[in-house]
Amino acid sequence: MVFSEDQKKRYSRQLVIPEIGPAGQEKLLRSKVLIIGTGGLGSPVALYLAAAGVGTVGLVDKDAVDLSNLQRQILHSTETLGVAKVESAAGRLRALNPDVQVICHPVFVDESNIDRLIAPYDFVVECTDSFDAKYLVNDACVRGGKAFCHGAVIRFFGQIMTYVPGKGPCYRCAFRQPPDPEKAPDAKKLGVIGAVPGVIGCLQAMEAIKFLTGAGELLTGKLLSFDALTMDFETIELQPDPNCPACGKE
Amino acid sequence: MIEVRFFATLRSGRGKITEVSADEVSTAGDILRRFEIPEEEVHILLINGFHSRPEAAVKDGDIVSLFPPVGGG
Repeated sequence: MVFSEDQKKRYSRQLVIPEIGPAGQEKLLRSKVLIIGTGGLGSPVALYLAAAGVGTVGLVDKDAVDLSNLQRQILHSTETLGVAKVESAAGRLRALNPDVQVICHPVFVDESNIDRLIAPYDFVVECTDSFDAKYLVNDACVRGGKAFCHGAVIRFFGQIMTYVPGKGPCYRCAFRQPPDPEKAPDAKKLGVIGAVPGVIGCLQAMEAIKFLTGAGELLTGKLLSFDALTMDFETIELQPDPNCPACGKE
Repeated sequence: MIEVRFFATLRSGRGKITEVSADEVSTAGDILRRFEIPEEEVHILLINGFHSRPEAAVKDGDIVSLFPPVGGG
């Protein structure tokens, strides 16, 4: 791939990194990443992947931008209140980097569409705000042999793990069943500090970039837990469960 | 001793890490009751990194990690 003069300048800070370089940049530009959820987590993921020059970014979300989102969902703005989130996000990403093709999927994921949505992409970033969607994305990625990065936040806490087919446990190996919907905490009730999904989303973007370029080690077989109150990052080893209903028969 | 690690909102009032004598508990559920944690507030119960359940036996040297549901995005 021959980089334009603009591209050489735009990506100059990562072209000089040995683990990325021109070969890694070419991989990024040829890559397709699907971001499911364009809220607190999806915002930094989309911004950093677009900035890094990931060639195709798919965005999945059916919501419209609400005033209560803007405390943490930095893709969106007061000017895009009421606008479909995927359109609000797409405008921001295209303005950030015209190299990036942004594909909008203005839907919520469900059993009927998830396999078709993830199929064309090289990597999936799970940034949803519901347990049902988190299990749905996990099971579809396991079924489709697709690598993905899970992220979740509440109050001052966040967590992240990466699934790569055949290389470690899936989300369901550790988190076997969704919590009781009646008792499950949601961010609307418990709250979240905006910078927490900022931290976790940046880590998810980093996992995507490493997966796509082959740099470093991924959070496969590990759950990284972040506690903003104590500024602890703790990594917990996870084991694949041979009896996992999602990946146990791999 | 059994090492018990609390995560996220389960740390409130309990700290990050503690130890329990293996003579005082026989299952992971005993540990939950000891720290007054309702089962529905635990989304992952890991014993030495493996998915487990409250009825699972625990022994000296085990590490029990407890996570609440964290589902926001």
